[in-house]
Amino acid sequence: MKRVYFLISILLMASICTGCAVFGRGKNFVPFDENALKQVTAGKTSASEVMRLFGPPNKIVKLSNGNAYVYERSVDKVTGLWLVVLSFGNFETQYDRIVFFINNDDVVTHFGSSFNSETTSYAMPF
Amino acid sequence: MRCPFNIIIRVAAALLIAQAISGCISLQIDKMQEGVDVLPPPVEFLQKKTLLEEILSCYGAPTDLADMNGDFALYYRKALNRGMNVSIGIPFLKSSLLPNPSMEATGNLLRYDTAVFIFTADGVLKDMKYEKGTSRSLWEDYWQ
Repeated sequence: MKRVYFLISILLMASICTGCAVFGRGKNFVPFDENALKQVTAGKTSASEVMRLFGPPNKIVKLSNGNAYVYERSVDKVTGLWLVVLSFGNFETQYDRIVFFINNDDVVTHFGSSFNSETTSYAMPF
Repeated sequence: MRCPFNIIIRVAAALLIAQAISGCISLQIDKMQEGVDVLPPPVEFLQKKTLLEEILSCYGAPTDLADMNGDFALYYRKALNRGMNVSIGIPFLKSSLLPNPSMEATGNLLRYDTAVFIFTADGVLKDMKYEKGTSRSLWEDYWQ
């Protein structure tokens, strides 16, 4: 009798767990080093030094009193779970960004940074 | 004592039904998130007094920035999409020549938490606006 119950439990588990799980990770990689920000001083560092430290920016935005250099990279993670009649999908994207405001004399006036790509997580949609 | 064969038959029937409805009825729940939480601006942020560096040190690098004919704007945004799909049908009929009745209902709602700061060319805060779209009712927003 115990064997019958054991067999039934195995079959039930196999039936309920029919499906699959998917984990994915993608990266939009731009090789800038966040530690290089320590070498940037507002009012002193020039635009060419910024490019020497961080490479070419992803985007340059023209502003009335200069330009903004934008550096951006991202990490995305996908989690999927398919069960018998239920399926769940979760997609998360987080970014690392640095923005330098450069005046008409090509000097950095302000800069801001956010490093969140490492916080991207595998999760369920609830 | 109950006959083990009755139990086996019941379990076999349950398994058969589970296998039969697998793919016939399905419910899919999706979530897509882009960006981190955008916090409401602190009360210390005042128009014509707060400077660009204060916003940058509080919020970090913006999601986007735009020139506005002399002024410029910093834009911080988190996007949250929730989707659901329900389908009813008999999948194996698709590969046969038999009629294949099926029904599928799908819906999704993309919402944003947004903060916009508009600065003068000198980097002084001129205007700001914040909205937390993700805290609103999912159901009401969807059917509005």
